[in-house]
Amino acid sequence: MRKAVPVFLAAMLILLCGFVANLSFGAGVWQFDAFFRAITQFDPTSYEQSVIVYQRMPRAMIAIYAGAMTAVSGMVLQGLIANPLAAPSTLGINAGAAFFVVAGALFFNLGLFAQGAAALAGGVCGFLTCFLVARLAGRVNDPRGLSLILSGALTSMFFAGLTSALLLADPGLRTQFLGWVSGNINHVYFERLGAFWWLGILCLTVLLAIVRPMTLIQLGPEKATSAGVNVRLIYVVALTATVIATASAVAVCGPIGFVGLVVPHMVRPLTGNHFARALPVSALFGASICLIADLIAREAFQPYVLHTGPLLDLLGGLLFVVIVKRFYLSNSVRAST
Amino acid sequence: MSFIEVKNLQVSYGQTPVLKDLSVAFAPGKVTALIGPNGCGKSTLLKAIMGFLPVSSGQVLLGNREMEKIKRRELARQVAYLPQESHCPDYMTLGELIELAGYSRYSLVGGPSAKDRRLFGEALEIVGLKGMASRQVNALSGGQRQRAWIAMVLAQDTDIILMDEPVNHLDVKYQYAVLELVRSLSEEHGKTVILVLHDVNLTTAFADNVVMLNDGTLLASGPVSDVVNASNVGRTFDVEADIFDHAGRLVCLPRRSERTAVTA
Repeated sequence: MRKAVPVFLAAMLILLCGFVANLSFGAGVWQFDAFFRAITQFDPTSYEQSVIVYQRMPRAMIAIYAGAMTAVSGMVLQGLIANPLAAPSTLGINAGAAFFVVAGALFFNLGLFAQGAAALAGGVCGFLTCFLVARLAGRVNDPRGLSLILSGALTSMFFAGLTSALLLADPGLRTQFLGWVSGNINHVYFERLGAFWWLGILCLTVLLAIVRPMTLIQLGPEKATSAGVNVRLIYVVALTATVIATASAVAVCGPIGFVGLVVPHMVRPLTGNHFARALPVSALFGASICLIADLIAREAFQPYVLHTGPLLDLLGGLLFVVIVKRFYLSNSVRAST
Repeated sequence: MSFIEVKNLQVSYGQTPVLKDLSVAFAPGKVTALIGPNGCGKSTLLKAIMGFLPVSSGQVLLGNREMEKIKRRELARQVAYLPQESHCPDYMTLGELIELAGYSRYSLVGGPSAKDRRLFGEALEIVGLKGMASRQVNALSGGQRQRAWIAMVLAQDTDIILMDEPVNHLDVKYQYAVLELVRSLSEEHGKTVILVLHDVNLTTAFADNVVMLNDGTLLASGPVSDVVNASNVGRTFDVEADIFDHAGRLVCLPRRSERTAVTA
């Protein structure tokens, strides 16, 4: 508990450094000077400053938003479902949202804003599908949320398959969406961030208001109920807020996969499991990781610009191995903590 | 002081009735032990009282109010519950755990008051974990962990405490330490304690009253000295047992019988 404030401040500092680095580094060189002038006395005729303000700044904002929302959702889902593999990407939320956007664009020729709304509907639909499949498989006595994770994998594969089928069917659609479907932080999507940021902030506020009952639910539904928590209500509110927050991030820049799965595992050893401390730090860590990944994707493979989604999947894949080893293959960890 | 009373309670798991027309009142300010063989409905009774299970018929009353009509938050200020198995997420500290107990008294944005904090300190002191608030719960020893959960129940600051097998998995030393603690809750702090026990000897040592259940029906209830006798214990557990008075404390010694030896 005493560590909470320094951890929060350190996370703020990391985010700030990530933000400055993301904006200042470009074309293989640091442009601190241009960055400083761009934020103090912006000169639109300067090429360097224009790139910073009109291209990198929107990218950075999207990265911060998507990273924070996805990481917070992952933290809440892992806590409430009591499974270390729970995340927006493993419970069908991301895949559902992506499918609805692509299907909407193909069949109804949806515009940008309508695509965002479709992503929200798809995220909810994806999670509900996952939940129903788990119900059918008998999620009555499932304290570790295992059937939910398995049906989440099933649901994700199902929606991802449908999305691929649609993309393959229409070459025009493929060019337009191939990047987005794998998670792409790009300044052209800034308009969508403008349309949806308030949803994420709203969900985050709701989640922060119920940190205590959510933490109590981690002690088991009966313990939480006996301490005065309306468990069903908190579940519904928390899951709705996480699904909408995630889906709004997908609506902006496509499904950013592993942040939601991996960040909670990095945060928990530092802040503990109490959501009051874990949620703010998750948001900051998620945002920082997306900022840094965006920078690497943009600059590391010059002259090619990699998409942020695949890069995060690469990094996340490595961390995923560590998680599986820690939680599923090793019994000694539990004994030693 | 309000007390819990159960009237004609029926509870079923699916088609199987677990509690059959059970009526019993729990005396305020006393320690009451629920005893009976495995599967007789002891835990079910506690869960039904807490409203965790659907009740087929009958009533659970707190004072003269029906318990299911009381709001969760209000109920949590009057009745605390310790489940049979408690799990704490990794990395959670003892201090965080105790602080959560006061949830029903906090406003949406507020936290514990100065009075709450004093209470949390006292709760830790009573269970002998003072000064360990920053320790991780899952890093404590088995006995300490059980006392941590009891501290959480205390920190909820209720008049009535329900405990489902609080001394399971503990060795003799901690069984006695925990039950001594339970005893002091009622004697020094005036709490009503209802707890599920397995052991007749622990019951006679620490409880004021006893409720004996078998197959979902009440066999006997009342003060320990009146109810614990060879006939009642025999009928409850389906064994032959001798009851001795040892320095004012009843001791139960089940007999070895050929029947047990053969069936085992």
